[in-house]
Amino acid sequence: MVSVHVYGKLRRFARESDPRGESVILVLHREGDTVRSLVERIGIPLTELGANVFVDGRYADLASPVEEGARLGLFPDDMQLLYKWYFRPKEASSEERGHEG
Amino acid sequence: MDRLLRVNMANRTATFEPLPEAYRNRAGRWLTSSIVHDEVPPACHPLGPNNKIVFSPGFVTGTAAPTSSRISVGGKSPLTGGIKEANAGTGWGRRLARLGIRALVVEGQPVDGRFWVLKVDAKGAAFEPADAWVAKKLSEVVPVIATRFGGKDRVDVCAIGVAGEYRMGAAGICFTDREGRASRYAGRGGLGAVLGSKGLKAIVVDDSGAADVPIADKATFDSGRKKLAAALGEHAITKPKGALNSYGTAVLVNILNEAGGLPTRNFREGRFEGATKIAGEAIFAGNKERLGHELYNHPCSPGCIIACSNTWHHKDGSEHTSCIEYESDWAFGADCGISDLDQIAEMNLLCNEYGLDTIEIGGTLGVAAEGGLWKFGDGKRAIELVHEIGKATPLGRILGSGALVTGRAFGVTRVPQVKGQSMPAYEPRTVKGIGMTYAVSTMGADHTSGYTIAPEILGVSGKLDPMNPQKTELARNFQYATAFIDSTGHCLFIAFAILDIASGFEGVVEECAGVLGTKWTMDDVARIGKAVLDLELDFNRKAGFTAADDRLPEFMYREPLPPHNGVWDVPDAEIDKVFAP
Repeated sequence: MVSVHVYGKLRRFARESDPRGESVILVLHREGDTVRSLVERIGIPLTELGANVFVDGRYADLASPVEEGARLGLFPDDMQLLYKWYFRPKEASSEERGHEG
Repeated sequence: MDRLLRVNMANRTATFEPLPEAYRNRAGRWLTSSIVHDEVPPACHPLGPNNKIVFSPGFVTGTAAPTSSRISVGGKSPLTGGIKEANAGTGWGRRLARLGIRALVVEGQPVDGRFWVLKVDAKGAAFEPADAWVAKKLSEVVPVIATRFGGKDRVDVCAIGVAGEYRMGAAGICFTDREGRASRYAGRGGLGAVLGSKGLKAIVVDDSGAADVPIADKATFDSGRKKLAAALGEHAITKPKGALNSYGTAVLVNILNEAGGLPTRNFREGRFEGATKIAGEAIFAGNKERLGHELYNHPCSPGCIIACSNTWHHKDGSEHTSCIEYESDWAFGADCGISDLDQIAEMNLLCNEYGLDTIEIGGTLGVAAEGGLWKFGDGKRAIELVHEIGKATPLGRILGSGALVTGRAFGVTRVPQVKGQSMPAYEPRTVKGIGMTYAVSTMGADHTSGYTIAPEILGVSGKLDPMNPQKTELARNFQYATAFIDSTGHCLFIAFAILDIASGFEGVVEECAGVLGTKWTMDDVARIGKAVLDLELDFNRKAGFTAADDRLPEFMYREPLPPHNGVWDVPDAEIDKVFAP
């Protein structure tokens, strides 16, 4: 099981969506899971996902592997206050996210 | 005609002087740090007659440049013993700029211990006794002072509270916001105590009849401000109903909590179980519930198009306090183990009333809990302790002296501070780059002097691991860029947009060049930033600081921080390379 903590407008994908509480989606883990495979399985459009993605509290991107028992934290594009000033577009393995400046 | 207003409190004189030629192209932090460096003896007592306090609007403050109403305040800090620059968003600096005053320098010291109000307007400067306005809450006196001198549409007020009157190390300098609230602070480093030591309760600025700020090259300036406005208007963080306008800076609570870098219960843990209850989303939802409609944030100062300043409301819909910034929310929330927004709001309000730096006071309460004065999570007791400061009881005066003094008074070893200034809301054991900034900043532990959080946590995994201790260049470059922005008069939050959208940053340089008539380009940004830092570093060296002061507290080297269980392990040699000549 992976516990996916979602925030902002992404809370609508969780059963509990009170912005003052925890919105957690429990997803069965599959062999080879990545952030992308989990996000797709939940049905979150990639365009709504920001650059603030964490796997077990470490910054991650769509290609990052996710292990059984992990905590995945997802913030939407309009909440990514910790920003990616250090990226250059060619370095970011996340072109699909469409947030390259 | 740019000029300098020199106020001597020993004999209550106020004299206009031409701006010295050497300062012709300096403003904001560059100018406040220049004057402090050039005129204040570095070894002087911060609360004695030889210290000075300097106010300077930025290059573009007072013009039509967006989000540019910051006032820079400088002096020698009673908290750190080093140079200090703190800035605030307010119409006060804008009015000062429109009067052609590039710097206001307060020096000397009265011998009678009385407090005064200084009024500055197009006709000159004058003093009035402030006896009726001391020992009161700022919300009770600032509107009265504003009314006395022409009303909030005509004047802005800068004032100190009880904490400044008693010269406490955690005293900030309060400025009025766009609505006349006594709520915007040049908070850090105890500059309120310095103003108190000068016997100045308040400075009122009335710009009636003033001409517009002269602009040497209007075409370049206009090109620049349009580029900046476009960048701010389109960026997801700074645009209307973007992250800052919707959730305020407190949106960071949940993000830092996910990252395991939200210092909790005096930096014992990196995640707070009550984070979602106090985050920006909770503030937005709570206001909506209590008001019956959505409430987006407001500009703290005229001309701001980001508008990130929030308000929190009582259950009956009346306003409780403004503004609960991320750092204040964290300081009274996670750092105190408190997850009740009403209690956090009350402490935020009390700091505004007593004239205190919320970061220093939250950090101090965390240390006080370790010292047995109260229990983490007991919001009622924490509020009582803040009242002790406002009443200036002996205990309150210890707490009002900040985290380091409180730690010493109560035998606490876990005191999260650098150079005597308590740490803000980012855990250096999780986010090593901010730890570098805390360590080497000329200001003591300060997140704004080099906001290396974002690039680190968001650097592509494996390439820029936040845990990676190789942060030298990052720390240096961010401090240079920040010192430049702090000199422009722009709010640091424009950085979110201009570091992403290159034309926005070009726009800022064009605005400055347009106002001054210089030929500055992007290449001048690091040069100016370095010039500012070099002055500040030189002052601190002469004040007695050495590499040994550029260190995080010992407990961070020793105690692993959950959930990542890392310790502070950046080698001292790496830290010393940041500003090595």
